[in-house]
Amino acid sequence: MGICHYNMKIKRILIANRGEIAVRIMKTARLMNIETIAIKTAVEPNAMYLSLADVIFDNTEDVSEIPVFLDIEKLIAIVLKTQANAVHPGYGFLAENAYFAQKCIDNKIIYIGPSPDAIYKMGNKTIARKIASAGGIPMAMGSEDNITNEEEAVVIAEKIGYPVIIKAASGGGGRGMRIVRKSEEMAKMFVIASKEAENAFNDPSVFVEKYIENPKHIEFQILGDTKGNVIHLGERECSIQRKHQKLIEEAPSSALDEKLREKMGTMAVRIAKAVNYHSAGTVEFLLDSDRKFYFMEMNTRIQVEHPVTEIITGIDLIEQQILVANGEVLKFRQEDIKLKGWAIECRINAEDVQAGFAPDPGKIESIYMPSYPCVRIDTGVQAGSSIVASYDSMIAKLIVRGKDRKEAIKNCKMALDKVWIKGTKTTLPFFRMLVRHQKFQDGTFTTAFIEKDLDKYYFNSEYEEMLAAWLATKLFVEENLNDDSINIDFKHGKEMSPWLLNKRINQF
Amino acid sequence: MAKDKLQIKKLYALSSENRKFSFSLPLKNTIRIGKRNYEVKLKADEKYGTYILWKNRKYPVEIISSRQNKYEILFNDISYTFTVETPFSLQRMKVLNSKKGKVEREFIKAPMPGKIIDVLVREGSNVLRGEPVVILEAMKMQNEILSPVNGVIVKVSASTNTNVMKDDLLVEIKL
Repeated sequence: MGICHYNMKIKRILIANRGEIAVRIMKTARLMNIETIAIKTAVEPNAMYLSLADVIFDNTEDVSEIPVFLDIEKLIAIVLKTQANAVHPGYGFLAENAYFAQKCIDNKIIYIGPSPDAIYKMGNKTIARKIASAGGIPMAMGSEDNITNEEEAVVIAEKIGYPVIIKAASGGGGRGMRIVRKSEEMAKMFVIASKEAENAFNDPSVFVEKYIENPKHIEFQILGDTKGNVIHLGERECSIQRKHQKLIEEAPSSALDEKLREKMGTMAVRIAKAVNYHSAGTVEFLLDSDRKFYFMEMNTRIQVEHPVTEIITGIDLIEQQILVANGEVLKFRQEDIKLKGWAIECRINAEDVQAGFAPDPGKIESIYMPSYPCVRIDTGVQAGSSIVASYDSMIAKLIVRGKDRKEAIKNCKMALDKVWIKGTKTTLPFFRMLVRHQKFQDGTFTTAFIEKDLDKYYFNSEYEEMLAAWLATKLFVEENLNDDSINIDFKHGKEMSPWLLNKRINQF
Repeated sequence: MAKDKLQIKKLYALSSENRKFSFSLPLKNTIRIGKRNYEVKLKADEKYGTYILWKNRKYPVEIISSRQNKYEILFNDISYTFTVETPFSLQRMKVLNSKKGKVEREFIKAPMPGKIIDVLVREGSNVLRGEPVVILEAMKMQNEILSPVNGVIVKVSASTNTNVMKDDLLVEIKL
């Protein structure tokens, strides 16, 4: 992150987001000498991101049902009231809402992101497919337009061959998607997908395309300016997913060589140029076992997993977003981009791995993260923070680098053993298992990895269960045995609060 | 009361997957691996909270619940459930289990906190193993809760558009 020598129009940014991404944006803004405004909500009045803002807008009195981060009118009003002149949407919430971007422009507020037109076109999967098709971008076969009933879906599926996938036209994040393996399942799946699409995106439109079996998920980071320059910053691999939600990402991908990288990167730039894309964006592809790739979608925002690209390119993507929004020309050309080393990001979420990744919201009692030169932590949480059920379950992103993939995995394994979080269950045991798994180490995993290749979702070393058993026995003894004897009172068994433990330990 | 008190020399911690760990009384702060005894220390400090120190490594521990002789322990971020038994209670349990045979009721509980979107069964209806009984929405995803058994629905506690906590009873099935 360099010190800024630009003449900045952007003076004060409203962060229309919360959590780690709000923290991330504010850190770069501070380096650029730009003020930031954060919104304090009733749900998280003591959140960590508030401590980094120059100005806090107090919205705790707001009792409306929709979160403020989704309330366009309110956000615009806050920008005007606090005299900010730019908005950063982060990811999620309104980050891919063309109407919000347009509203900002209408109110002479600089929107840090692409144009409303690009957001709209890429946000609608059917339009995006047409644009990709016109540009000669490889795609899975599928329906030209949206499909309105299951009969139509069956006709197309027969033509392209099962299995097919039904997708929401306005979709994202894996919702409104259903795989259909035979025509008898179509009627049921069509209704479910369409209903889910309507609930999630207010748009029941769906389309059908060929389902690619066991692909790798490869995405390209795009960066464009308002003068028509577009480059790519290499790829990320995000194949390890459950329910289409990414868990671990890395850059670069072991599945690509220089030739394939250039080919896919060129296609990614081409599709971005087709919508006059500026700012940071991501073009997602599926890569099959024959190394054929297919355009899936473009995300018109900063991604959760952007840090792995920052590490291997040395480019601060938030800084680039702000500069492009300020009207600056990109100072890199494609040939300036050199990928160096390897980076892995683990999403440490408040989830119960042993209960199928069920969310486990709660208060973080204590959190300790390792600090090594090879480790970067992006978080919006500190001891005492709560992971609330109304937002996502992210606690922290553990980003680890190495000179190559092997070293990155080794460093990741070391760092994972040093992370210490108490208060909720986390995805840590999953990552500890993953970095030890042969298939992960080989890089041969696909998006089916969690479903097909795993029989156990967590890692414990040989003696951990025995030590836990010893502790249970110890507690039983403490509760039930008299100090001076080894007699057990069977009538005793009463409840004990976990907080009593601390008191008892002090007696040992 | 005197007749409830028995002399015992051993305790067993039975895991939910039926693994048995035995410990001699009085309980020592060492565990024998092969020919060596290793010291186990339960400690707590401000920075780490409660932890177990074993072979020079710290493992975070938390007690999630403790009810009579049943303990759920979070050890190095993994949850384990044990029932601690004496030789007598273990013997009694074996006898009871062999008499009772198999379980007759299946209680389907919410695997995560969320909102009930749809209840697909009624009291008195038959269900087959693998059939969805409830649709639960949690953190923006819809989850079908499936019946693990064949049986008859005897009680439906879940109702549409209500919020449930983890482990709330949804449906009771008679086998």
